[in-house]
Amino acid sequence: MESALEVRNLRKEYPGFTLQDISFTLPRGYIMGLIGPNGAGKTTVIKLILNIVRRNSGEVRVCGLDGLVDETEAKARIGFVLDEPPFYGCLRLAGMASVVAPFYKTWDRALFRSLCHEFDLPPRKRVNALSRGMAMKLALAIALAHGAELILMDEPTSGLDPVFRRELLERLSGLIQDGRTSVLFSTHITSDLERVADFITCLRDGELLFSATRDEILENWAIVKGAPELLTEEVQPLFIGISRSPYGFTALASNKEEVRRRLAGRGAVIERARLDEVVFFLGQKDRGTTGGRR
Amino acid sequence: MLKLLRMEYLLNRRQILIMLAIFSGYFLFMAYRIDSPRVFLVTLCLMMGLAVPFGFVGREDKFKTAALVCSLPVRRTTIVLAKYAVSGIAMGLGLAYGLLLATALPFTKISVAEILTVKSVLISLFLVSLLSSFIIPFTIRFGLAGIIIFLVSGQLLGVVALILAQLLGRGPNPLRSAITAVEKGLRTLLYHEATPGFLALLAAAIIAVNGLSFLVSRALYARRDL
Repeated sequence: MESALEVRNLRKEYPGFTLQDISFTLPRGYIMGLIGPNGAGKTTVIKLILNIVRRNSGEVRVCGLDGLVDETEAKARIGFVLDEPPFYGCLRLAGMASVVAPFYKTWDRALFRSLCHEFDLPPRKRVNALSRGMAMKLALAIALAHGAELILMDEPTSGLDPVFRRELLERLSGLIQDGRTSVLFSTHITSDLERVADFITCLRDGELLFSATRDEILENWAIVKGAPELLTEEVQPLFIGISRSPYGFTALASNKEEVRRRLAGRGAVIERARLDEVVFFLGQKDRGTTGGRR
Repeated sequence: MLKLLRMEYLLNRRQILIMLAIFSGYFLFMAYRIDSPRVFLVTLCLMMGLAVPFGFVGREDKFKTAALVCSLPVRRTTIVLAKYAVSGIAMGLGLAYGLLLATALPFTKISVAEILTVKSVLISLFLVSLLSSFIIPFTIRFGLAGIIIFLVSGQLLGVVALILAQLLGRGPNPLRSAITAVEKGLRTLLYHEATPGFLALLAAAIIAVNGLSFLVSRALYARRDL
């Protein structure tokens, strides 16, 4: 399968934080969600792909092009929506577009105008008068107007009202229908991912926890609830994170079938894991509030 | 490169008009008051070399838009080169405007023959290059706040130098010695005979200073995490 984005052993060291040799692949024509607790390294990964943060080691390939060697060609294929859209506040929307447009051979002026209309963005309005949500919409309009093959979005839905958030997700789903466009977006709102993401990549403290298809995660991972006595030495290794209470435990397991086989007929409740539960348990792990081992 | 220059023009056209208005007033006043072409030249270069690159390079810092520029399909080396090019063009046009204004005005005390010479043009370029080649990498490294702190510190240092001069009189004073050395250097430059060797040396110095500054700026910009 042709890949839109290949990240290999990507490493970035900051004082007090290291993104540790991250690797994942996003096939062309799919949406990947990047999840993880605050400070996990999601924004750093997106910035490293864009080369606005310099990597210590590793490789990034965009549509087969090396992110450093073929930097210009690779970036021409990327559309980006950053967490804090870095626009010139003094310009009007149309002016902002005219600053960016010449850098992209594939810029479609008519499409930009129609996107502004669709997103209720008045072209005469100054950028510094836009709300966060409106600025996000502008960033998205710019990303879409040059027909990017890979769209990178850092927390794109966080400043948006529920109506536009839903519309945005539908648009993203529509975008990939051409089989050419791919989307990587980071978010805290895991319900968004359950709706649209084909792949989920999870980071924690700069480490890659997993990168798999959404169906694989939702099929294989499970939330297990049971009485305290079920939590034996033999069973505990099956769980990634465990939340205990005097009346029982709730745990996350990555192998639903194995748990089902081991706990069959012992009164445990095994449910399909939601992404927010996965993030919760993975975020809690090793922080002392839960037990269990991977 | 041309796209970046166009972008600089679009982003700075209002500032260019404001600066043109301020500089016009200043040049008119200078041309009216100053009768020494050398003093006019040095003050003109000071204005250009300090104000112009500071405005162009500091803008990304002011609007926090470096991440946008670096995310566009363009190399960082090209971005830095464009900063030098646009600063050079603006300073060159500013110098030409100032020199022409100083000679063309009816009330000017400076004659064309004195100021529009190969030597004075090369000296102007050398002086603005010296200033801008320091200001540009400094602004890239320390940002707009850094350069403002530096310029204010320079002024405070001047105040300290004056106080020290008052207190110590003609006694040993390191600040006074430094200022005297700069003054002597400038005097040598301005009063040196315009031999072909001297002019060639000036031209080479302009290229070397700008080249070195560009290499430093490029290295600094490449290391920046945005």
